[in-house]
Amino acid sequence: MHPDQRWYLRDIARRTGCALGNLRRELSGLAEAEIVTTTRDGNRRYYQANPACPLFPELAGLIRKTVGLAEVLRDALVPLGDRVAAAFIYGSQASQEAKAASDVDLLVVGTATFAEVASAVGPLQERLGREINPTVYPPGEFLRKAQEGHHFLRTVLKARKLFLIGGERDLRRLAEKRFPPDAL
Amino acid sequence: MTLEDWLRSGFLRTHCSSRQEIVELFAISDRDLANCRTTGLDAEWRMAIAYNAALQAATAALAAEGYRPARGESHHWRVIQSLAHTVGADGDTVEQFDRFRKKRNLSAYERSGAVSDQEAEEMRSLAERLREAVGQWIQTAHPELAPGNAKA
Repeated sequence: MHPDQRWYLRDIARRTGCALGNLRRELSGLAEAEIVTTTRDGNRRYYQANPACPLFPELAGLIRKTVGLAEVLRDALVPLGDRVAAAFIYGSQASQEAKAASDVDLLVVGTATFAEVASAVGPLQERLGREINPTVYPPGEFLRKAQEGHHFLRTVLKARKLFLIGGERDLRRLAEKRFPPDAL
Repeated sequence: MTLEDWLRSGFLRTHCSSRQEIVELFAISDRDLANCRTTGLDAEWRMAIAYNAALQAATAALAAEGYRPARGESHHWRVIQSLAHTVGADGDTVEQFDRFRKKRNLSAYERSGAVSDQEAEEMRSLAERLREAVGQWIQTAHPELAPGNAKA
């Protein structure tokens, strides 16, 4: 996902949740196959994706379309800035039940419009090979419907989520704010 | 691609419209533009009604040009795309309309309730814009079909 960045072993372990020993073994295999390159800086060894590897485009594509999905979507939403208060993927992509052709269900809370969010993520559909279905709630409407126990929102809020912008705590704050929605 | 190309590819059929037909399509569009403001209706329904208002307006424009979508073709998609060739709608407008088509399909078949009030409002304002554009366009492009014009 970030071929221009190099990573220290412990960094990768933290991000992937893999045990250090296993990780070191896997990485040295990948380095031998020239899929990653390694550099030494002092006594630290860094690993980096090797864009010169003939397999690089295919591997990058595989990652983008599967485990890297959230990162690609986040990058697309970042330009909307603070007009997105929280954004997450729900449905099969979040619960890891996604099939090959599963859509990406996206929920956004913020002052951005549906048209803006859809334009931001629209171009990704082809790259990801998946349809992206955004639903956009302004904070006031989100708060009101969450408090009314709106069926769709209640279901989504209870289910597994993959956060792109903000986190569970931000979302709870948006759903429970005490002051009137007009003040938002 | 032009509408003529679409006809040759079998996506469209020729169609002979009449002022009566245009009057009726506009009437449905206007009815739905009014109905989509009904308070107390869920956002999902209001969006679907506004979507229908826009679709009827687009259908009227296509009919005035002498076409209708071929049977079995992706009917709605075709009508939406035709707006670029009838009233000269820009790419953003057509794309936005088409996104609401997808949203409406999803809400009908899969994910019920995933429509916000704001999205219903966005669809309504798009539908109003399109209804207005088709009304004006027909006056100049097909005055003989325009509702309210004296019979040619």
